[in-house]
Amino acid sequence: MRTGVFFCQMEDSRNLNIDAIAKYSANLPEVETVQILGLKPHPEVKILCEQIKSNNLGRIVIAGDMPGYFKPVFTKAMAMTGGNTDEIRLASFQQHGARGENAMDRAKAIVACATMAVPFSLVAIPSGNPVNHSTLIIGGGIAGIQSALEIANAGKQVFLVEQTGTIGGHMAMFDKTFPTLDCAACILTPKMVSVGQHEMIRLLTKSKVVAVTGKPGSYRVKIRQSARYVDINSCIACNVCTEVCPVKVESEFDAGISLRKAIYIPFPQAVPNAYLVDEKSCTYILSEGEKCGVCVKKCPKECINLNEIDQTIDIEVGNIILATGYELLDVSKIEQYGYGVYPDVLTSLEFERLTNASGTTGGRIVTKTRRFNKKTREEEWIYSPEGIPPRSVALIHCVGSRNKKYNPYCSRVCCMYSLKFAHLIKEKIPNVNVYEFYIDMRAFGKGYEEFAERIKQEGTFVVRGHSASVAMNNGQMIVRGEDIFNDRLVKFKVDMVVLAVGLIPASGTEELSRMLGVQRDTDGWFSELDYNGSPTDTDKGGIYVAGMCQAPKDIPDTVAQAAAVAAGVLGSLTSGKGIGHLSSLSLSEIEARAKNIHTI
Amino acid sequence: MAIRVNPKFIDVLDRFGAEDVQLCYQCGDCSTICPHADDVYKFPRKSMRLLQMGLSQKIETTLEPWLCYYCGQCSEQCPREADPGETMMSLRRWLISRYDFTGIARQFFKSRLIEVLAVLIIALLTGIFLLYYGFSGGSIHIYDGEGAFLSSTFIHKFNLTVGAILAVFLVINAIRMWYLVMIKGTQFAVPWWLYLKELYQLPWHFFTQKRYSECEKKREHPFFMPWFIHLGLMLGYVTMLVLVMVFIEQLQSGPEIKWSVHIFGYLATIGLITGTIYFIRNRLKKNYVQYKKSHSTDWVFVILLFIIVLTGIAQHVFHRTGLFEWANITYVIHLMCVVPWLLRVPFSKWAHLIYRPLAMYLAAIRRAALALQEVVLDSYPVFIK
Repeated sequence: MRTGVFFCQMEDSRNLNIDAIAKYSANLPEVETVQILGLKPHPEVKILCEQIKSNNLGRIVIAGDMPGYFKPVFTKAMAMTGGNTDEIRLASFQQHGARGENAMDRAKAIVACATMAVPFSLVAIPSGNPVNHSTLIIGGGIAGIQSALEIANAGKQVFLVEQTGTIGGHMAMFDKTFPTLDCAACILTPKMVSVGQHEMIRLLTKSKVVAVTGKPGSYRVKIRQSARYVDINSCIACNVCTEVCPVKVESEFDAGISLRKAIYIPFPQAVPNAYLVDEKSCTYILSEGEKCGVCVKKCPKECINLNEIDQTIDIEVGNIILATGYELLDVSKIEQYGYGVYPDVLTSLEFERLTNASGTTGGRIVTKTRRFNKKTREEEWIYSPEGIPPRSVALIHCVGSRNKKYNPYCSRVCCMYSLKFAHLIKEKIPNVNVYEFYIDMRAFGKGYEEFAERIKQEGTFVVRGHSASVAMNNGQMIVRGEDIFNDRLVKFKVDMVVLAVGLIPASGTEELSRMLGVQRDTDGWFSELDYNGSPTDTDKGGIYVAGMCQAPKDIPDTVAQAAAVAAGVLGSLTSGKGIGHLSSLSLSEIEARAKNIHTI
Repeated sequence: MAIRVNPKFIDVLDRFGAEDVQLCYQCGDCSTICPHADDVYKFPRKSMRLLQMGLSQKIETTLEPWLCYYCGQCSEQCPREADPGETMMSLRRWLISRYDFTGIARQFFKSRLIEVLAVLIIALLTGIFLLYYGFSGGSIHIYDGEGAFLSSTFIHKFNLTVGAILAVFLVINAIRMWYLVMIKGTQFAVPWWLYLKELYQLPWHFFTQKRYSECEKKREHPFFMPWFIHLGLMLGYVTMLVLVMVFIEQLQSGPEIKWSVHIFGYLATIGLITGTIYFIRNRLKKNYVQYKKSHSTDWVFVILLFIIVLTGIAQHVFHRTGLFEWANITYVIHLMCVVPWLLRVPFSKWAHLIYRPLAMYLAAIRRAALALQEVVLDSYPVFIK
């Protein structure tokens, strides 16, 4: 069939040489004409009709990053000239992963398949290597936990690598989940305990993947396990060591709003349920054994060894699941909200810890109290359970999200957790005024819209309009905003401001992507192979993504994706077909296969 | 009143400089950060919204664009980089073209070519006329008095003629502005005595530009620099206008300097030269948001003014040092620039000299009239004004 190839790009491709691809496609069989139509503006129907007529085209291939965007014009032109509109084929570089090192070859293969009217995904099935039956999961948050349990319950070996001293991740810090207002810990902790006790899961806390070699199906992974300084098996979590430890530093688990000791347990339900020593603040370790060491003397089980050294573990796995999660954008660089300047401006995670019943105030929502620190002889602001509850609270959405200067994307969860905060504040403090400043209410999930309606009915002032500034006037915080629905500018006196801070990929994401050769998208999240078709695979065979590290998502979606990943992994283990890199397929191989299918 | 939607309005404004309006997603950050936005005049978001919806008939009756002094905070803050500050600036350009009944302003703003051609043609005609007059009645070697190339009495008449043309255009345009804002755009009764009560606003805003200084408050310029220099430029311009319209004969008489008149001339020149150099420099360096995008009319404006000031100074120096031929030549060049520049005033950016104080005046009247309506705005439990 006489085929015309049209290159239509939405924007300039950084890694694709369109001219070279065009030259290649001109030499393909049946291709009559190849045209590069340039950037964005729609090609005109009239001109296309002339092209189709003059070349007598029976099939049209639209090639580009988002060819579907241009399809309507071509369909119209095809219909006007009396052609078969089913013979318009899309060659989508983005969808089929023309990225990275062999992007050019992949793009050529995609165009070749389209000209022969053969679906690319039908051809591009990589050849299989035998698969090692153990799986490595990087990240012990809810995604990692869910995947680990699914795979381990099927009877396969799992290595769960976690960077901190306990699994649980961010979900363990949360108080309630939206929209059901279930207790987050009640959902998570049983799963954590199962992971800790599961015979098929080897839990490696305080560990980091440092090197990955090998091919799909048999990856050799080098893991460095930092010293915990406490023997997990004999520690009975009696808390004696923490009581005697003289060092106090900010607690990571409490998002920095409370203090912990240098020897500590992140939270009482931690898995493994054992203490650990923070080598960055322990006096004994910092002084190289000269000072302190009091916890070693007091420990009743003699399980503390402050001279422990890091270990390196070598394992071989067949599949790797990335579940590295996210962190919050550094909000202190967005100056107008006064974070770090005014004491009662909180990030969402800090508020989450403040309102949590296991938090430093026992779940009381209070403003900070000023206290005199005898050691540093300075006044400081701390949270104490006796603090004064705020009379009014402002919740500001989209802080750093949907903002071209910081994160151009929507962080997806902020609207819902801010509404949840509004509910928690209303529930815990009588007669409090809560103001929600939002741009667009993104209540996208099951039961979310109803939840948003419920919060509005509870008496929260939901202001459609972003607040751009928080100011301090005589010790009183003032939030300015525009109430667009009521057509007025508003100024509210508030005692507390909670910022719904945008999410960014966790700090190790870049390093991991380089180590594994997994692509990242422009925002830094791991790229999935195909957003619609295979949202858990990457273009590296045997490497999968789950949870936030792929894109921001809420807990239900994370759990669903984690379980889906487990299905993919188990499929590769039981099918007997093996797995391979999509990128290992050469252009000529794909061409030959496509021709094969085409001639049938 | 039915409101007509103009779907092409965004494209029209694009020609006036507002390129990114469609990016705006109505978050209201700009209105929140703007030091001038208040409960009655909310901008820039609302103006952006009207623009997006294509309500050109509504926008031409609003005063909001004139209340903005383009400090650029909104554009710096904008999460979508939709540049609300530049949009307000473009709306001002568009409003100037709407107030202008001849339609000339519209052509100037839309086409760089037409504007430059118009300036050149008027400059040439002026030059030919002046040379013809000068050579027919006088000698190029004589600057003033008997047989002068361009005598002061002639220049006086010439200036008054140009000034009268300018004034006619400006007054008609100002009346059109008043009509659009106060008759077409005001749905409530405005008592006549409010016009008298708020009359002080006109000279107050004209001579102090107080709102401009409020604008700069939060920014890091030393000594409210842009406000100070803008004020100096404006006062220098007005002083110079008065001098050449009324005291031209004293200015041109020689050889001794008349300090009672000339001192004002020198002060005005300082204001003009520092102002033009400052603004040209900023527009070249693009060091602040408000100078990042320069419309062609902005450039014509500052460059022409700069040439006028330079030739004015040169003419003065030649005159005082006795080089009368050179003084006459520079004088002709000076006037060749002055006439198109002055005739351009009602159709260009410089018209904001009249529109801005007038807008402040009308805005104050509308605000007072609105307060008389006793509209209850409060529905929130905690609200401070």
